[in-house]
Amino acid sequence: MNPMGGRARSTAYWRCGLGALALGASMAWARDSPPEAPAGESPAPYHDHYIAGGGLALDISSDDAGSSDTSALAHSLRLDGVLSVLSGSGANAANRVEEYGIVLSSQWDTASYGAWSAELAARAGGSRSGAFGSAQSVVSLSERGMPFDGAWSADAGLGDVNVPNISLARFQSRFFLPTGPVLGLATEWHGPSRLQLVAGGGEPGIYEGVVVPTFQTLGGSTATLGAQFSPTPRWTLGGQLVGARDVTLFSNVLLDAPEQTSSTTGFLSAAWQGRSARAQLNLVNGSMSGLANATGIWLDAATTHSRLSQSFGAFRLDPNLSWGNQLVTDDLQGGYYHLDYQSRRWFADVGIDQAWSMSGLGADTTFASGAARYQLSRDLGIGGVANLRRTEAALGWSLEGYLDDRNRWGIGRGQVDYARDSEGSDATLTLSQGWNTTAGTRLSTSLEYQWSRSTALSVVAQAVSAVSLSVNGGGDLSSRLSVDGNVHWGVAISGPGAAAVMANVALSWKLARDWVLLGSYYEYRAGSWISVTVASPLAPPLSSMNPAMGQRAVFLTIRYQRAAGAHFVPLGGKPGSGSGELTGRIYLDANNNDRLDAGEEVAPNLTVVLDGRYSTRTDSNGQFAFAAVAAGHHVLTVVPDNLALPWILDDNGRVELNVRTRDHTDVSIAAHRASFGLNVPAAAGS
Amino acid sequence: MRHSLRLLLILACALGSTPSFADGFAAVVSPPRFELTAKPGQTLRQVFELSNRAAAPAPFVFHTADWTLAPDFGVSFSDELQPGSCRPWVALERPEATLSASATMRYRFEVSVPADAAAGECRFGLLIEGKEPAIARSGGLQLPIAGRIGVIVYVTIGDAVPRLEILGPKTVSLNGRLLPTLRVHNAGTAHGRVSGYLSGTDATGTRFDFNPSDFPILPGEETDVYLTPSTANDDHPTLTFPVTVQGTLEWGRQKTELSQRFE
Repeated sequence: MNPMGGRARSTAYWRCGLGALALGASMAWARDSPPEAPAGESPAPYHDHYIAGGGLALDISSDDAGSSDTSALAHSLRLDGVLSVLSGSGANAANRVEEYGIVLSSQWDTASYGAWSAELAARAGGSRSGAFGSAQSVVSLSERGMPFDGAWSADAGLGDVNVPNISLARFQSRFFLPTGPVLGLATEWHGPSRLQLVAGGGEPGIYEGVVVPTFQTLGGSTATLGAQFSPTPRWTLGGQLVGARDVTLFSNVLLDAPEQTSSTTGFLSAAWQGRSARAQLNLVNGSMSGLANATGIWLDAATTHSRLSQSFGAFRLDPNLSWGNQLVTDDLQGGYYHLDYQSRRWFADVGIDQAWSMSGLGADTTFASGAARYQLSRDLGIGGVANLRRTEAALGWSLEGYLDDRNRWGIGRGQVDYARDSEGSDATLTLSQGWNTTAGTRLSTSLEYQWSRSTALSVVAQAVSAVSLSVNGGGDLSSRLSVDGNVHWGVAISGPGAAAVMANVALSWKLARDWVLLGSYYEYRAGSWISVTVASPLAPPLSSMNPAMGQRAVFLTIRYQRAAGAHFVPLGGKPGSGSGELTGRIYLDANNNDRLDAGEEVAPNLTVVLDGRYSTRTDSNGQFAFAAVAAGHHVLTVVPDNLALPWILDDNGRVELNVRTRDHTDVSIAAHRASFGLNVPAAAGS
Repeated sequence: MRHSLRLLLILACALGSTPSFADGFAAVVSPPRFELTAKPGQTLRQVFELSNRAAAPAPFVFHTADWTLAPDFGVSFSDELQPGSCRPWVALERPEATLSASATMRYRFEVSVPADAAAGECRFGLLIEGKEPAIARSGGLQLPIAGRIGVIVYVTIGDAVPRLEILGPKTVSLNGRLLPTLRVHNAGTAHGRVSGYLSGTDATGTRFDFNPSDFPILPGEETDVYLTPSTANDDHPTLTFPVTVQGTLEWGRQKTELSQRFE
């Protein structure tokens, strides 16, 4: 079969740049239609061969079918129906867990009210173990970037949202003030001079669930209010206050210790940003109920010069610092320094961190680390990592060295790790390889030998060696079906230990244009083994049997997903900027009173240009309209080509006006007889 | 000027990874290039993905073509079977297919290397064309054109390897910038690409990294390899000649030390 049947076969050369071959960019170009070959001059055409005579079944998917519909503003919807079953075997196995429900996620763009999104998750079923409390759902509604005049914009969220922090509180290299989820509301406003206002509050909670998220409230309440602004281009100042009443600290929730507390904490910060340096000073002060007032102060700085970057700082944080219902790092004073260097061949990073306990109850700690990587050649790179951690009671350190090699089969790595501390040591040798495969398939393997020796007081000194093999691979079996899986198998060669195997396989099957079935199966099995422990130095070591155990889980999701539309960009503005409607009418001001009076005619078919870029024409009523024009100052120009004599437009048809966000601006543009004065105001906006 | 045009052409094509050119043809192919190895008697089975990025269904035709690399960095495709062409070893899935809007097709092709094939390199192009002429608008003028995408396939057979010879230094003006350049000849049996880590200094004593251009150098051909300078703070610095460059150049499994002065 000739794929080009009927097409001219003359010597036709079409050229493009070398970039297609050299840089591998997929490319396309246009060529002139090949000329018809003069009869008798055309060499015999070449006829391609076809697999199975060209009879292979088509393998076509339409993943993005919805995205080509740009007739509306951008919007998307994803709805998952979820079923998960987890079960275990063995003496200490957890109870069987079943979870089924729906997860809905939707986003949509608006022309004047920002971008909106909604999340809804509902667990219709439940767990027989009751492991996830009583919460059954997650609901949130949020908008971002709602524009207002004066360069203001607002974000807001309602439902299960995170309490907001000002940007200065988020930008902390050594410590951070965490934001916690609440059932409540949160809002963030951005204005001129990089002014930022945040406020929010509600009942704290935690997210739970296997696949279907649920939000479990914990009682009490938190609220926050903060602001920051930049008085100069280089300086930013900010402050925030957060209060918590009768809350369970997040760390206590994890420890299942429902002790309740109240607190009020303030945060002040000043940041300076230079061309290649930045510094920020932070101060936190507050108290929790029943505890003394606590203060934290820390300074972070960073510089970048050519390929070198440094970060350093000092800190002093009293015990019992909190931020809402979250504990923050506390009971420490000290400093840190990090140095990074990066070039085409080198990467190096060294750092040291020294911290002392202020109360004396914690450990004084020195932590030093270093990492380096050097590209020996195009295909070969070596690197290493060293860590050292010293406390008053113990010293631990680790070393790692590796060799990366791009070989004929793919990319491989050989790596050796050794770690030692007061309770033992272990060494690991790992050989891993990512294999070159055909398009649509993937395969990587890893072989590991591990040796460890425990010298902990409670364990009889003993060495264990084990070997493990991991395989990870997958492939697109067709445009509609892809499968990925991994298997990890390990066995003890010497010493106490049992063989274990873990396998996970996942498939994605596109059932129809907007429907996908996602499924995965997980299984873990470990054999029984005997461990030896020391209960008392006066008693002989005890042997205990660790029974075989296993876990398995099935996750199924049926997904409907559709996205379409185009992002909204108002005329003369950026995506997301505020916009308003601009309409107008051009009329023939016969009595020169700058008003459209009954009996006066309109001017049809005149071209009206907005900002010299966007044009429209007046209709039979002399009216024109621009549906969405960016808020701000604009210039309309009327092209008077079709304006009959003796009518003329003042100021050459130029009209200046302002458009306000979500407002309707209407202009009337008068044409006057040439015999009248030309200095009459041309337009009046309303 | 000629080199400037070359560079513009190179950039235009290199950046065209999401092409959309004219009404009726907007498509993307992945991967854009195959570099395969095979033994005599072996059949390679490969797949590329073709996505129709147009808002309407688009018919495509598929066929092979021979290609050559011209001295002016242009790629010339020809439908006629060229001497030594390996296209008779190639089998395509089908001659044509229609993709609905935003649909993606997995297109299969095979290369069956004959058992008596000598060591060398099989090179051909897979051309994907819009079946119906598209319309390009230039002002008020409408031009019927045909959009097409070329996928380049290299199959190294047996122990074919590139063997590159550095013929000497020169300087070339690219886009108004004078660059140190090496003339390189490929005396091997497979195409090669130069890579490596080079560094050097110019007449002002400023230190630079140099990145060699990685255009393919076909067996038996000569081409210029540009050494593009960069510093930690500037990807497009201006050199003051003379410039000295040292380092290691690599291609295939070979490498050579370079210590060269460019006047």
